[in-house]
Amino acid sequence: MNEYTPILVGTVTKYVVVESFDITPADLAVHAYEISQGVMIKETCFGLIINGKEDEVDRIIAELRKIDPDHIFIKDRGFPPGDSRRCRANLGGARPGYHGMEYEMTVIPYVSHGLKELKNRDENTIPAPENPREDKTLDIYKLKKMIEALES
Amino acid sequence: MAKIFIYPSTSLILSDMVARYGHTPLSSAVAIRERIQTAGFESAPLQITPEEPKKGLKWAAVEVPSGVRGRMALYGPMIEECEAAIIINHADLSFGCMGCARTNELITFLVRQKDVPRLDLTYPKNEDEGLKFVAAIKRFLTGLGGKQ
Amino acid sequence: MTPPVRIAQISCGPEYSGVQHEIDAAVKEVNGEIFYPDIALKDIMRDFKAYGLDVRSPDLKLAISRARALVEGRVEADAVFIATCFRCAEAAIVRNELRRYIHENSKLPVVSYSFTERTTSGTLLTRMEALTTIARRRALLARETQQGLTLGLDSGSATTKAIVMKDNEIIGTGWQPTIEVIKSAQDVISHALEEAGIKREEIQAVGTTGYGRFLVGKQIGADLIQEELTVNSKGAVFLAQRQHGPATVIDIGGMDNKAISVMDGIPGTFTMGGICAGASGRFLELTAKRLGVEITELGPLAMKGLGNRVPMNSYCIVFGTQSLVNALATGSTREDVAAAACHSVAEQVFEQQLQEVDIKEPVLMVGGTSLIEGLVYAMGELLQTQIMVPPYSQYIGAVGSALLASGFIKDD
Repeated sequence: MNEYTPILVGTVTKYVVVESFDITPADLAVHAYEISQGVMIKETCFGLIINGKEDEVDRIIAELRKIDPDHIFIKDRGFPPGDSRRCRANLGGARPGYHGMEYEMTVIPYVSHGLKELKNRDENTIPAPENPREDKTLDIYKLKKMIEALES
Repeated sequence: MAKIFIYPSTSLILSDMVARYGHTPLSSAVAIRERIQTAGFESAPLQITPEEPKKGLKWAAVEVPSGVRGRMALYGPMIEECEAAIIINHADLSFGCMGCARTNELITFLVRQKDVPRLDLTYPKNEDEGLKFVAAIKRFLTGLGGKQ
Repeated sequence: MTPPVRIAQISCGPEYSGVQHEIDAAVKEVNGEIFYPDIALKDIMRDFKAYGLDVRSPDLKLAISRARALVEGRVEADAVFIATCFRCAEAAIVRNELRRYIHENSKLPVVSYSFTERTTSGTLLTRMEALTTIARRRALLARETQQGLTLGLDSGSATTKAIVMKDNEIIGTGWQPTIEVIKSAQDVISHALEEAGIKREEIQAVGTTGYGRFLVGKQIGADLIQEELTVNSKGAVFLAQRQHGPATVIDIGGMDNKAISVMDGIPGTFTMGGICAGASGRFLELTAKRLGVEITELGPLAMKGLGNRVPMNSYCIVFGTQSLVNALATGSTREDVAAAACHSVAEQVFEQQLQEVDIKEPVLMVGGTSLIEGLVYAMGELLQTQIMVPPYSQYIGAVGSALLASGFIKDD
């Protein structure tokens, strides 16, 4: 077994994903480069990957979020940008996690809508979503009404 | 600031929401980062060595497949560490770290066994559900003492 | 340098079992390259539904979709490696179905494997070597006749065998238990040459196979050093005169077993391994010793007995031996015990390996154990077919090597 020597120890990497009609990943990259101060930034098809010391990355992210808070989403990444172990060019195909993100991108417009609406509304006035853990059985009175409607 | 276990642990949406409302998401990426930033023996791509499925024995017996035990070595400590959890039910298209249904069943079971605040959701399918989804998460997280 | 053979990996779990780098290492050693068929989320959703196997694990859905992309030619590959966790029922179903699906609907060679965290690149090497050989050396494997004067050597884990061939005929043989790998090889070669009445320098090309193939091959200057899966397939269909059409080759070896589904002499799918020596020739050797007979006498002895009179399960060689000792202690006849041992080994191979290849007739049994007629009979009973044991079946690897080596004769 070969020894493994890690690189960029003590840094963090984050995805900055933009899903917006107004801002492109390229626009976001321009803003990020302006305030990067040596932090590693890589532009991708869905946004940016940023690597650096945690406080520096957090500072840049806080600034970027301000540009379009309802359409910019952030999460951690295990690997630094361009790492050959996860790079599509080396693997022939996307890493499996990419497809999970691809799926969430189809849902994100609804989340953006929720974030935007909540700016003007109190979250406590909004009904709770259905609890997926509860059995959805048909209410007996509702059934009665349906039968009556059909019979009349 | 509470440590929130998110499921799927690879979720961009949950990771973002938790951080946005002032808490720390416990995600797959952080567990993988720990491994790829630690010196040891080379085990590309994730630096999960054959030792990890052995560590996973703490959560799953030896007759459980190695892939389940290796994944549990990532998630077991996070489940033990978490102070609250958000679970998206029926998240059937999360791959890689969340790609094994048996592991996923064990993860959500162990989270549910734990006496911590928990929010169960599904992915929103329209704008109305999107609003309810975000509002529920915000209520849950601010209730834990997060920022408004 | 020839470009690497592109092997599409369809898998669930190796990265999380800590064995992906072992797979990569084995593939690299045979000048191959692992890649993951690139598909989009919409392909996954469509192809998974179209395939119709409703598994829960997302990575298995991904595996199904990648297999469809390969079969439909949307992604190009030279070979396919299917790997899932050992002991996962859901994955085992997908692994078997995809192997069959790819085998029946494409020309891609496939090998499937279930790994644990203890799987090493060494275990995978022979399989990967066979996979790349089938993909890269189709022209070599297409050879149907032996030409010139060639020598084939099979350095196996239990025995070493040599064959001298001239113009498509076997003219010399050599056989002995493997003791010192090189010394045993030299001895059997000398014997085969002597029997053929040929001098070493007259030999025009040499091929080696078996566990000791690299060591011996280097020592004797072999022209072809080749794993036993492709070589044995070739040797089997050559000796059985079944070079065209389908065939199934079963080789119960001294250390592990091979089951190969062959088409026109080229392996399509194959399995190799066995969980314990209880499912190999070793258990029969042990049985013969305990019964106080030579291994060559075990077969005829077994034919006189009835296996079902003695409960025996050699899933594990220790438990198998216990059953053996118990049976003898409680008065079972030696004939019945011999038959039960043969049945038990056949049953283990049937349960552990033959489920992973498509059994198509003729079924050819080869290797030293094919001379134990009780074992051949037991296998025939299990498969409900007449099993063929070709002549010289114990020399199968050496014959295959001698045959293929004639492709390396230089035109002077």
